[in-house]
Amino acid sequence: MLTVENLCKSYQVGKTNYAVLKGVSLKVETGEFVAVMGPSGSGKTTLLNCICCYIPADSGRILLENTDISRLGADAIAAVRNQKLGFVFQDFLLLDGLSVRDNIMLPRIIGGKPSAQMEQSADRLCEVFGITAIQNKFPAEISGGEKQRTAIARALINAPALILADEPTGNLDSKSSRVVIESFLQAKRELHATIFMVTHDSFAASFCDRVVILQDGVVWRTLERKDADRRAFQDELLNTIREMGAQEAAR
Amino acid sequence: MSVTTFPQLYAKLRHKSRSQYALLAACCFFSTLLITAYVLMMRSPTVLTVLPEGGDSRKQMMMIFVLTVIGCGVFTAYASGLFFRYKSRECGIFLALGATKSQLAGLLRRELAALALFACGAGLLLGGPLSWLVWRLFRLLVVDTAEMVLSFDRKAYGIALAFFAYVLIMLFGMLYRFLRRTNILDIISESRRSEPVRNVPLWYGAAGICLVALGTVLGYQVPSFCVTVLQWYPPEVLTAIFYLPALIGLYMILLHTVVNGWRRGKNRYAHLVTTSMMRFQGRQTVRNLLVVTVLVAGAYFAAFYAPILGVSSYQGFDARKADYAFHYRADQSLPTQQEIQALAKAMDVTLTNYAQQPGAILAYDGEAHVEAEGKMGVTYTTEYREQLSASTFLSESAWNALTGGQLQLAPGTVVAVYNDIGDSGGMVSNDISLVTNPITGKSLSVIPVEPVLCNSVLFGRRVLDDGDYAVLSAGLPDDWREEEVVFNVQNVESTYAFAKALFYEIVDRSGPEVELFDAWDPVQKMQADAAGEAYSYDKAYIAAHGFESIDYALRDSSNFRLAWKYMPQFRILDKMEFIKTMAVYLMLFIFIAVLCFAAVFVILYTRCMTIALCNASVYDDLRHLGASNRYLFQTVRQQIKQVFFVPILTGTTIICAFYCMILYFNDDKLSYGELSGMAVCALLIASISVLLYGFYRYTRTKVCGRLNISVRHAQKR
Repeated sequence: MLTVENLCKSYQVGKTNYAVLKGVSLKVETGEFVAVMGPSGSGKTTLLNCICCYIPADSGRILLENTDISRLGADAIAAVRNQKLGFVFQDFLLLDGLSVRDNIMLPRIIGGKPSAQMEQSADRLCEVFGITAIQNKFPAEISGGEKQRTAIARALINAPALILADEPTGNLDSKSSRVVIESFLQAKRELHATIFMVTHDSFAASFCDRVVILQDGVVWRTLERKDADRRAFQDELLNTIREMGAQEAAR
Repeated sequence: MSVTTFPQLYAKLRHKSRSQYALLAACCFFSTLLITAYVLMMRSPTVLTVLPEGGDSRKQMMMIFVLTVIGCGVFTAYASGLFFRYKSRECGIFLALGATKSQLAGLLRRELAALALFACGAGLLLGGPLSWLVWRLFRLLVVDTAEMVLSFDRKAYGIALAFFAYVLIMLFGMLYRFLRRTNILDIISESRRSEPVRNVPLWYGAAGICLVALGTVLGYQVPSFCVTVLQWYPPEVLTAIFYLPALIGLYMILLHTVVNGWRRGKNRYAHLVTTSMMRFQGRQTVRNLLVVTVLVAGAYFAAFYAPILGVSSYQGFDARKADYAFHYRADQSLPTQQEIQALAKAMDVTLTNYAQQPGAILAYDGEAHVEAEGKMGVTYTTEYREQLSASTFLSESAWNALTGGQLQLAPGTVVAVYNDIGDSGGMVSNDISLVTNPITGKSLSVIPVEPVLCNSVLFGRRVLDDGDYAVLSAGLPDDWREEEVVFNVQNVESTYAFAKALFYEIVDRSGPEVELFDAWDPVQKMQADAAGEAYSYDKAYIAAHGFESIDYALRDSSNFRLAWKYMPQFRILDKMEFIKTMAVYLMLFIFIAVLCFAAVFVILYTRCMTIALCNASVYDDLRHLGASNRYLFQTVRQQIKQVFFVPILTGTTIICAFYCMILYFNDDKLSYGELSGMAVCALLIASISVLLYGFYRYTRTKVCGRLNISVRHAQKR
């Protein structure tokens, strides 16, 4: 589904060049729920933004369904974003002037494929994520958890190949976080969605099939949940993070 | 209703954010309206006919127009910047969700074109009616004369259309730049990002003040330095450059105000939130303050015109040493003393101190400026001429008879007559050395004596010893001789009808040979005729060059009253008809001041409302942090105070200093009339300041209302 090969990205601040991604390689299989964790400055969000093609990578390849999307032109990448990718942002990025239902239908409308089916899809997604009652409300009138569920529904309206989520629980309380993660699991289970999530929340990551841990712009370790209990997987995650911290302190 | 297409969805969003569209449309509309109204008035035949070509009034009108155009240009750019800043989040989300730039470009282009067309079109259409309406109000409420009938030149719309084109180009330029951006995350977060305003050192404020002072002095003095010392008439564009340090200094002062503030020490933290909010939109804030400062300066400059002119003129009328004075060429058959007395008697007016004395038109020597056109403009060299110009010379006994003085001049001496306050106005000098009879060629070397004589009704004359006068005036025909008449009346304030009747009688009995401009010089005319050249003040020459010449049929026009060579000086007539005579001048500058102040009000209000629009979330955050209503009110008040008072105080101070400098350097002193005029200007400033303060309070309440801050509650404790 998604293959990232030797991805490098640096930022120029004044005369200093800061390398943020130093050759990241990873794979996400169809139907997988993968999280990327790492300390602040490890390059998690930069990796996600490069995969979204929001920012250009310096080198490396990003293959989505065997197409190198980092080499595509502006219109082609726009089509990929619209058809193949779904996005969930930390601060939701809903349009305040549109109702919940309109926000959900937005990618389909932008793609120029409005139909009666679009409204049915939106209604179904509202039902799946338990936001039918608020579908005519505006973002300013709903809670953070509801906003994020709206954003997840929006990400799924075009049945994308991959959902990219950037700290989707970062702005939410624990109860809302749980609801959002449940929504992802529901999307994976019922809609066969593939999800790639950046987070620093070990609780959220513990629901994933696999967790990629970044440190200093490279993949430090990958943990697979397999058949482990969620709590055990979270403990394993926490232990790994502690180990990384100890190694960092020892350097 | 459910939306199904992207344009529908976009339209729905536009409807939701209509306040942002309204703001941009209102700014474009107002700017175009203002420019159209101004330019229609500036290019109106009504104004162009009255204001002399190349005169100071036209220059001042043009200078304020340039300031207004700059102000409106920056203001529309500011509003457009705000609009794109607001749109960035929405467009960023569209792009993030897969919209193409061409999709967005098409929609944005269409709506911006429609908005500009609608807003600027309305401004263009309503600019004319606005000018007409304001002018009509002046005519109804202040003064109405035949000259005040307003007519428009359709060509003036060309300039207004050029401004419209600027708005379109600026909007589409910004759109192009907006769409060229590639980093979607930057686009999304644009509206939340601080505009980088670089830190400036603490000396910026003081250096700015020095530069303003330097630029103002240089800008004003360099042209006269070029003319007097370098003997060069520099192009006005070139001399305008010397005002540049003032503009740079002004920018530095405002930058210092926004970045550092003027408060130091323990209060620094009390203003932390305010300062940071001002810095958040630092560039826009500084540009706004600059525009308002410039417009306030322009508005006051225009507003000062009427009080300065009015007060000094009325004081001049009162200071005259005779109630009635007129002069005429001896070949004219003007009313005699008996006729005047008969007219006075018929109108129940009693004449006193009637005096009539002859004068002679003689040539005097001096340095002529011989101009040459060069690459850098016009230069001149001086060339001594024995017969430079003509002047009316009086004998000392004639002077004494006319003024009741006891002047005794030695043979071979001469003295010039300045106005009542001893000012030559650059029209007469007491430095001649040779006087010549232009008909007989008889000449006499003379020595000027001090002090000069002061008498406004005989301003510009020169007085000779009786013997010298007799020798020099011998052989002059009547068209080279003049009669000077002065008299007083009892109860002058009630003699307006008599004054008007006598003035009309003088005009009606004057022949076409004296239907001349006051600058018409018989000696220069004679020299031009002898050389076979056209004389530039001849009526035919003036008419051929498209200028208005002196016409007896227009004896009540300001052109006639201000420029007829033999215009009588009747105190009561001049006083009563001053506003009528100067109506177009006075009303034009009041009109300009009204427009500039209207612009100031609109820009200040818009700027303050954007504080509410842009900082609403910051105020929510402050509330969440526990800020009290009183604290929130104070932060709003501090910001609005800065937005209002910094540019108003700066603009007012600069223009007052500049005006004082102009008045002082006119004649190297401040006359009583000028000081009185400035006192009236100070009253005007006080009145407008009260108005501005009221508007400040109103705006503050509106902004607080938008931010849900209770003004009453905040002020209670």
